[in-house]
Formats: sequence, structure tokens, C-alpha cells
Amino acid sequence: MQDYKYIGHSAERVDGIEKVSGAALYTDDLEFGPDLLYAEIVEGPHAHAMLNSIDTSEAEKVPDVLAVVTGKDFPFNFGLYMKDRYIFAQDRVRFYGEQIAAVVARTPIAAQKAAKLVKVNYTPLPKILDPLTAIQEGADLIHPELKNYDRVPWFFPTPDTNIAHHRKIRKGDVDKGFAEADYVLEDTYEVPRYSHCAIEYHAAVAKFDHSGRLTVWASSQSPHTQRNLFANALAPLGIRHNDVRVIVPHVGGGFGSKAGVTMEIIAAAIAMKVQGHPVKVMWNREREFYNTYQRLGVIAKLKIGVKKDGSITALKHDLYWDAGAYVEYAANVVNAVGLSAIGPYRVENASIDSYCIYTNLPPGGPYRGFGYSEFLFGLESHMDRIAQHLGIDPVEIRRRNAIKEGELTAYGAPMNPNGLLQAIDRVAEEVRWHEKLTSNDPNIAIGKGFSLFWKAPAMPPNASSSCFLKFNEDASINLLVSGMDLGQGFLTVMAQIAAEVLSIPTSKIRTENPDTDRNPYEWQTVASHVTWGCGNAVHKAAIDAREQIFDLIERTKHLPRETLYLEDEMVKCTTDPGFELLLKDFVIYGIQMEDGTFKGGPIIGRGSFMPEFTSTISDPETSQGGHPNVHYTVGAAAAIVEIDKQTGKVRIKKIVEAVDCGKALNPSLVKGQIVGGIMQGISTVLYEEMKFDHRGKMLNPNFTDYKIPTALDVPDEIIPIIIEVPQPDGPFGARGMGEHTMIPVAPMIANAIDNALGLRITSMPITAEKVCLALLKKEKKK
Amino acid sequence: MAIPYEFGYQKPATLQEAIALLAEHDKNARILAGGTDLVNELKQGFRVPEILIDIKGITELKNIQLVDDQLEIGALVTFSEILHSKILHDNAYILFEAAGLVASNGVRNRATMVGNICSAVACMDSASPLLVHDAVIHLISSQGERNVPIQKWFDDNRKTTIRPNELVTHVSIPIPKVKYAGAYQKMMRYSGEDLSQANVGVLLFADNTVHVAFGSVGPIPKRSPKIENLLKAKGLSADTIEEAKQMIEKVIAPITDVRASKEYRLHMCKVMFVRALNTAQARIKKPKLITKKLHYEKKCLQSE
Repeated sequence: MQDYKYIGHSAERVDGIEKVSGAALYTDDLEFGPDLLYAEIVEGPHAHAMLNSIDTSEAEKVPDVLAVVTGKDFPFNFGLYMKDRYIFAQDRVRFYGEQIAAVVARTPIAAQKAAKLVKVNYTPLPKILDPLTAIQEGADLIHPELKNYDRVPWFFPTPDTNIAHHRKIRKGDVDKGFAEADYVLEDTYEVPRYSHCAIEYHAAVAKFDHSGRLTVWASSQSPHTQRNLFANALAPLGIRHNDVRVIVPHVGGGFGSKAGVTMEIIAAAIAMKVQGHPVKVMWNREREFYNTYQRLGVIAKLKIGVKKDGSITALKHDLYWDAGAYVEYAANVVNAVGLSAIGPYRVENASIDSYCIYTNLPPGGPYRGFGYSEFLFGLESHMDRIAQHLGIDPVEIRRRNAIKEGELTAYGAPMNPNGLLQAIDRVAEEVRWHEKLTSNDPNIAIGKGFSLFWKAPAMPPNASSSCFLKFNEDASINLLVSGMDLGQGFLTVMAQIAAEVLSIPTSKIRTENPDTDRNPYEWQTVASHVTWGCGNAVHKAAIDAREQIFDLIERTKHLPRETLYLEDEMVKCTTDPGFELLLKDFVIYGIQMEDGTFKGGPIIGRGSFMPEFTSTISDPETSQGGHPNVHYTVGAAAAIVEIDKQTGKVRIKKIVEAVDCGKALNPSLVKGQIVGGIMQGISTVLYEEMKFDHRGKMLNPNFTDYKIPTALDVPDEIIPIIIEVPQPDGPFGARGMGEHTMIPVAPMIANAIDNALGLRITSMPITAEKVCLALLKKEKKK
Repeated sequence: MAIPYEFGYQKPATLQEAIALLAEHDKNARILAGGTDLVNELKQGFRVPEILIDIKGITELKNIQLVDDQLEIGALVTFSEILHSKILHDNAYILFEAAGLVASNGVRNRATMVGNICSAVACMDSASPLLVHDAVIHLISSQGERNVPIQKWFDDNRKTTIRPNELVTHVSIPIPKVKYAGAYQKMMRYSGEDLSQANVGVLLFADNTVHVAFGSVGPIPKRSPKIENLLKAKGLSADTIEEAKQMIEKVIAPITDVRASKEYRLHMCKVMFVRALNTAQARIKKPKLITKKLHYEKKCLQSE
């Protein structure tokens, strides 16, 4: 194994001191001077209504109000994968709390006061709050203009229905597969909506200056994508890409909620109407819940056939997604799951139908796991139930069916190298899977649960990353990338990659969140792809810089370049041990020749990366023929739980999780992701529960009644395990693992509860109340 | 979020000044102690006051003291101070136990117990412990002093018998003549900070008298004389406890809301009643509660 100096070690975070010292600034911390204006949003009190007219005259009279803007000012569509969104509602309101208008004033209080005076006339329409109602024959259409929306070529809406996209897999012969099965299990699983709950609210400040420059400061995962969407949406107002600049300071968490564009476009648009003034739009916790993105809900009908030995003969997975009022991003979640809903298994006969369905609930969108947590809840519950029926150990049935390198995925492309079997074995060993646990307290039941997981980045085939690497006089480096550090430690890992190639300590590499004017292109920080994608760009940029260094040495010192190498911030030579040249002596100033002239010049590395082997072109009826996903990251996890039979409360004693990240570039950050992902998974399975009333209004948009775990709810023990089966096209063999870590948690807890109590729960969340009432019901039946 | 309107603010240094201000502004004044409920109400625009009277400067309201057979808890005593009080730990353990389950550390550092019963939100934690201890609320106004037994204090959710010109100075708890032990059980959705979806307070005396209170299962917290009488008459045998447990369905009528269903609340009240009674029985058998250190929060949270 190759010996690395910087990667593979737990380097200190490059943003660590800045964050713990309080020096780090977030969007709301930035100062904009006395010209700053504040916007207050007018929201619609209907889940579905025609918007007849808006009277802003009273609001405009309030002192300190500069403008009141409505949909009429911006009759433009926008969206990431399908242009079905509007900056402000046009003639129709599609979810409760949708933005109708905004008041811009010199003070927040004046804006709030005036917003209350905006009069809106609506005609309520029948509202559709669940996906199965939305696809009934004759259901009212939420987007009658669906068929006319611009969209990416791999989306297939069903015209004149509420189905915005339908992804189909047809592989092998499922009828034959089910006919050959010794046992077939069929059931329906329900996973409701969830909220990201990032600690920092969405915030955006935009300024359209008198030269026609639009600058937006935002808390975002996607600065370049935001620039692109702002420029495209505001093109009718004469805005071009080079007029738009997006600056992202530190970000307090995203989990998908700050990907693409949501509320930021409101700030960008409003700024166009108050030229010369910066305008601030701050979301509050309530709006974080109902007007950014929510994780989609799903009703999944799953049927699996197996032989007596547990091997899968056929799988049919029909997924009905509650994607909400706008699906410009959500439809790609549905697409990703459609391509991958066989799970990390070898399935020769598969049929998948993944339906993206409009409803009158808040817009669905990206959320850590991108649909995989949702479908694996059912699939991994199903695998346990099948094992139980056949009398096979749950670990063994997973081992037997686990997908191996070269075996075909649902869309027919070969599976990448992976350490799934190693992960299964390591987890089973660490959790002592075969050891029977019993409790001394008759009221406490103990159970164990297991789950596998897999996930691929869901990206357009031409999603790309790039990097500039600039040397400074002392051979320290400014590394310019546009991936975002959202707390996961991305920037530190980029610094480690450059450090490894150039022999410069990580502490001498400065890398910060981007400004789209200065930093080169990055698609978005989503899909757990930046370590891999942007890491490849950084790797290339560092090699580019190194080659420039070797060129210069070859040219000036006449040493053969194949003998040159970098070590301890010096160029050295394998054949001339006496040759040592400090990088700081020439990376800016060049090398002086005998005649007194200098050769060289500032070393600037450049790298860009695009996965050139991917394609979304395939037969829409079967999805066979393309290569939509770059690779899958896999792993396994297990939990031990204790359940109080009288109250239904679940206490997690131990969780073990193994993830194959190819190469852990920074092991402590990998472990941090594992622990954090496990906590987020625990939160969704045990505590979080979004509640809506009959009007489609969310009833608990606050942490008083939408519960995420505290330090007191952390399991007694969490054991992270790193598996390293290299990804051939990854930087030093690395592949992404950030989202993945939460995916196995919900099904493994469901499996552990069943193991403890003989109680199978097929809907999330599995709250204490749900467990307790199900137990009481079961006892009554006896 | 800013408070979107103007209001006055006064910080009197003495009780007399505070009373005078209250007499002057009457209904238009609101008293600021911890502010953990009040500031939220101000932000949301409920009951917009003309003036806030901040009583935090009145030092005599900060005491926890034992005066003869009365335990007095001043209006400014915070839940964190309760958790650091040996007097409360040794004499009203149930209140101490409940204080450890109020919200989070940050809130407990500001929120006062008296504020909790003055806000009188149905899910408050202080009421059940004070009810089983037969606490008395002491008020003062320009007209003089007035005492209200806790059983007569609550009128409705968020409504008490306090008059607009009155200020609570302290709450007193009579120390029973016989040996006693209490226990508090709180229904929460997780181990972190949560508003109680139901709670049960039990105070057991050496003569087998039992006081039982239920909170957060109706607009106001209540003692249950029916259950108390049954236990007094028949003792604490397993059969009687079971009979009392079944009686709970007739004593309380919880509702279904965003936090929990009626069915689960009722079931949990039965479970918590038995657990509280068992805990109190175990505690009364011990010679004296053993206190090793004065910060017990973690212990309380884990003992659930």
C-alpha cells in the first residue's frame, strides 16, 4: 500500500479556528450599510386557489415602504430540471404559504406592517393532499400547462395528468421470475415527508447596482447553479451570466435544502426593482419548514420473489411520490430512485415504476439520501421478513444476494468495485450478530436489526467541477474551488489532496467558500459527489502545477523530469541526492540563469473534471442502454435496541455502520459523517413527524413540535467502520459517502423493533406512541 | 425576530415601587421575570402591553428559604436555582425532579417557577408537584396581601385568579409533620427538551395518605380526590393500585392534538401513575435521600 503523507490522515479542519473562534461570518452576519432594505413576504392562505387580483395600494402608503412587488413584475418560469416554478405565484396558488408578493422597506417592522395590508382575492380550488388521489381518473390538474414546461430530456411527464415524471425499469422477465419463486412477499410501505432542519436559516441579500451588476450573497450549496438560474430567469430583464455574481460565506448546514434555488430568487428579483439598494430576505424557522424544500413522501408497493435458499428471482417496486406543488428538483429524486430501487442486490428480473406526482403540499426536493432512505425503508424491511419466513439469517440472505463488481445494475450497466461483503462481515462481527441478548427486566425487550445501503450520485451526465491553484511567494497556496463546505469538511479534504501532490502542508493551503466571479465552475455541492468530482479537479490542478514546476526545472537545471519529485516543499532528484530546491524560491519569482535573466513565472495550476463515460440516453420504456450513474457507494449497518414495552420508547444501545468510501482521505471527517448520518437517520425514524391539517397547512413548523434529537438522545455507542475498496476513477481511490450514512438507519431500527417485539411496522416514523399503541392492539387480539 | 411594536420598560428596585407601577398601569402592565414565555408572546403580538415591569432587580424575591415549617420559593427563583438548592432537594424532591425536566439548560437558567404557574400553560411542569404539596401562592398589591391555595389558583389554560394589579411574591409549601416522598413522571416524545404531553405527580406520606395530581391532560392541572380516597381507604396493595389505575380513565379526559393522541396520553397516565407510586414507595423507605452533589439534572433525566 502506498504511503501517503497528507491524505488518509485526520488533518485539522482548514476552517476550524475560524469557526470555533467566531471569526466565521454567515450571510446574516454581513454588513451592508444604511442603504440596506428588508423584504417581507405575503403568503397565500390556500393550498390550491386561483389568484384573481392583488391590491397593493394600502401597503404602498406605509412610510418607509419603497416597493411592493408581485408575480406580475416577474412573469417568468424557472427550475433546475424542469421549469415549473415561479418567483411569485402567477394566476394560481399551489401550496399553503406560497409567496404571492413582497414588500420592500427601510425597516423590517415597516415591511411586516405593510405586508399585512396587501389585499389578495382568491377563488379556492379543490386541493389534493395525497399522491394516490392526485393520480385518480379525473383528478383536478395542479399544473394544466405541464406538457409545455421546458425540461431535461430524461424526464417523461404524462400529459394532462398530475404525473410530472415516470421512470420505468424493465429488466429480464419479472413474470417468469415470480413464477420461479418459492415464496413471494408483497406489501406497501409508507414514508412521510421530512424537513432538513439545518441550523442556519436560508438567507439572501441581493444588490442590483447602478452599473447593472447583480450580486447575491446567499446561504447556498449551489453558487454556480444559482448564478445560472438567476441569469436564465432574469434574462427577460436583460441580465446575462457575467452580470450575476453569487458570493457564499460560511454555511450552517444544508442537507439538500440549500441546493438548487428556492427563496434566493426572491431576493435576486426584488433587487431588480430597487436598483442601488441591497435587499435582505431572511427566512424564519417556520418558513424553513414550509417554503424551501421538503423531503418527498412516498407510498411504495413492493413485491419480491425468492427461491428457498433466499436468492431473489424477481422484484417489482411501484413508488408513488408525493412531490408537492413544484417538482423542478424533486422529479430527479423520483428518477434516481427509479433507476436504483433494486437496492444493493443482484436482481435479474426487475420492474420499477417511480411516479413523480404533483400535490398541493409544499414543494418536495433534494434531501440527504435523495430518495434512497425512502425506498430502502421498505426494501430492507422486506428482506428481513423474507428471511424470517424462510428461516434464513437476515445477514445471510443479504450476503447471498449482495451485488458484486461487474454484475448488472437495474439499468444494465456493470456494478463498480465495492466492499459490500466486507462491510456486511465487519458489521456482523462488531455487533456480535449471533449472540443472543436478553433483558433481566421483563418490561424491556431487546432486539437487533441489520440493513444494507447503497446510493449513487444523481447528476446530469455533464455535471462538472474545476479548480484553480495559485502559489504565493512563500509557496503557500490559494486553492480556488466552488464546492461548498457545509460543515462536512470538504475544503479540508481538497487541501489535503493538493498537499499530497505538491508536498505542501495542509496548513499552508487556504481554501474558502466561493465567489462565482473569482472561483471556477462547480455544478453543485450535492449528491455526495464533490470529494470525488471536485477532488479529481483539484488532483488535476495540483498535477498541472507540479508539471509546470518540473518543466521549469528541466529547462533551467537540465535534469531529466522523470528523476524529479516533490518532498517537504522542495524539488528533489532521484539521481542527484544533493539537488534540493525550495519551492518558495521560484514558484513566483522564477529561476535566475547565469546571465542574470529569470525563467518561469507564477505557477498556476488548473484542473477540470467531467465524468465523460455517463449518459442518460436510454429506452424510456425499460431504461436499458444508458449509464446514468457514475458509481454506487455501499455499506452495511446494525443496531441493538432496548424497548420499554409499557411506553413504546426505543433506546438505542449500539449502532455499527461500515461504509466503503474507496479511500478515507480524512478518516475523522468520514467518521463524523457516519455519526452525523446515523443521528439524522434516528431522528427520521423515531421522532420527526410533519403534520398537516385538512387545509394543507403544516401544523408543527417549529422545534417545539417537530422533534430532532438532542445530546440526550444519542445512542450509548456508535462504531464507525471504514472500508476501502478503491474507486478506480476517484482521487486516490475515494468515492462519496456523506449522504449514505443515514440511509440504513430507519429500516434497521424497524427490523430491530420487530426482532425485539415480533411487531412489524411498515410506516415511518416509528414513534414511541406508534410502537406502544401497536403493542396494545396486538395484546388485545390475543 | 424583532418585537414589531413599541412599549415602555421600568425596572423597580423595590417591591413598593413595583406595586405602585402596577397600581398605576393596572391591565396595561405586564411583569417581566424570566421572560421565556413573555418575550415569545410579545413577538407574536399577544396581549400587547403599555409597559413591562421588570422585577429582576427586587432582591427579596430571589430567596429559597425554610421559615418554621414553611418552605418559601421566591418569584425570581429559576429552575436552575431549584436544581442547585439543597433545601429543595431535601424537602420537596418532586419539585426538584420536575425542574430537571423543564425545557433545556438555557431556558432553565432564565425561566422561573412562579412565572411557570403565572403563565399557566396547560403543559407546565411546576403545577403537579405544587398541587400534591398543597402549596400556597402569596400575592401583593396596593390593596394589601392575599394568599391563594394552589388548588384554587388555575382558572383555565393560561388563566389564573391573579388580579391585574397583583404581583406574586412567593410560593410556600407546608412541610408535612410525617415522613413523605414524592415522584414526578413526565410524558415526553424524546429525552431532550419537550413540553409534557401528560404528567403525574405523586406524594406519599408515612400514614399511607397519597396525593395524586395530573397535568397537561386538560385545561388545568388537577388533584384526583377519587384516587386519593381509594388509596387511603384500601391501602397500596397491588390490587388497589390496579383499581386506581383503571379509575384514571374516569378522572381525566385528555385530548388528541399535534403532540399525542388521547389514547396514548391516557395509557401513559396509567403507566406513569404506577411508576410514580412505585418510585415514591421506594423513596419513602430510604432513610433520607442521599445527596452527593448539588447539580442533579443529569440524574433526574436518566432516572425516567
